[in-house]
Amino acid sequence: MSAAVNRLDGGEVSAETAPPVYLPSQLDQLERYRQWATTPLKVDPVLSVVIPAYNETQRILPTIGAVVSHVCSLEPSWELIISDDGSSDGTRRIVRELGLVNLKVIETPTNTGKGGAVRRGVQAARGEFILFADADQATPIEQLELLLGPVKTGEADIAVGSRRAGGADVRGRSLGRRILSDGLRRLVKLGFGLSHGDTQCGFKLFSRDAAERLFAVQRIDGFSFDLELLYIASRLGLRVVDVPVRWFDSPGSTVNGGRDTLLFLVDLGRIRLNEALGRYRDPGHCRRNREGT
Amino acid sequence: MHLEIQSERNGSGGSVVVAGRFDAHESEPVLTSLTALLADGVLTIGLDLSRVDFIDSTGLAVLTRVMKRARESGGDLVLVAPSTPVRVILELTALDKAFVVSEVGPDIAVGH
Repeated sequence: MSAAVNRLDGGEVSAETAPPVYLPSQLDQLERYRQWATTPLKVDPVLSVVIPAYNETQRILPTIGAVVSHVCSLEPSWELIISDDGSSDGTRRIVRELGLVNLKVIETPTNTGKGGAVRRGVQAARGEFILFADADQATPIEQLELLLGPVKTGEADIAVGSRRAGGADVRGRSLGRRILSDGLRRLVKLGFGLSHGDTQCGFKLFSRDAAERLFAVQRIDGFSFDLELLYIASRLGLRVVDVPVRWFDSPGSTVNGGRDTLLFLVDLGRIRLNEALGRYRDPGHCRRNREGT
Repeated sequence: MHLEIQSERNGSGGSVVVAGRFDAHESEPVLTSLTALLADGVLTIGLDLSRVDFIDSTGLAVLTRVMKRARESGGDLVLVAPSTPVRVILELTALDKAFVVSEVGPDIAVGH
């Protein structure tokens, strides 16, 4: 037992009298966070982090805390976008009340689904690189560097967090979810020729160009939007790399096996239909044709 | 990393070291460990959070519950050397004003 804890036994220190104490190694990190929190960026950021949120009052503040403390230690020029998807529980209010100047809240009056929330958030992003990450921190933000590397070096246009790639560390995933996921993965491979081990992990990073091209034509508002994105990416010839990540099952997940499987199957049909109707044509390609270049 | 917990009693004080991800899956063993010390007559507990990389709302609720219970008995729950993510999370949730934070922690270590 250290003297410090014994000293506290006497109850001489109270919340009112004790100032916060910081270790020297933390001062720089905290200073970076405070600067980011209070000084608006003057130029477009290097990185945008987009978090879709629907009724997340319980989870959003710890997630924001983890994200800002980590990303501020990595990259001073970045913005955080919370894309609220018509929450009715005060999520927007508590996020706005934080008063972080480089945190932007995107809102919509109705709940559209995760795909819609991510699309609106990414389209509002100004970063050279754009990450979308789930609000539950199931994939810890510390995995960001793993995805940023291949996109930053130009090796890939999109880096996809994967729970199935070799080296992934998955904790607490239920047997039901594993079976469901395996079944859907086989279906995706069969129906769309996509060989990604994990299309649904809520941790994906895009170059700005890739994000603009993808989200200009991406249409599905529900949770199958991940698959749609990867399908469009393959149609546009974008380079996608699967990156093994750590993943923790998060309590409070809104995934419903039966309902979501049915919706997923319906969305597979919609993706095929959109493809047949030419809705996934490269907007850059169309623009270049119109401009005669 | 799953949460690792180590606790120790010394006189009327106690110390608990936790390391890893302090979320809803892991909050129960922490609560059990802390309340066991209080039930054993410990007044003030030093909780070392220097190696906690994430704490969610359930983890925060555990801290608040134990802190209140300790203060009712004339003691306290002291947060020792919280990591930067934990400090920022406490600040954003305004809980930094509710807890006593100390820089020096218990002399036991987890994972060595």
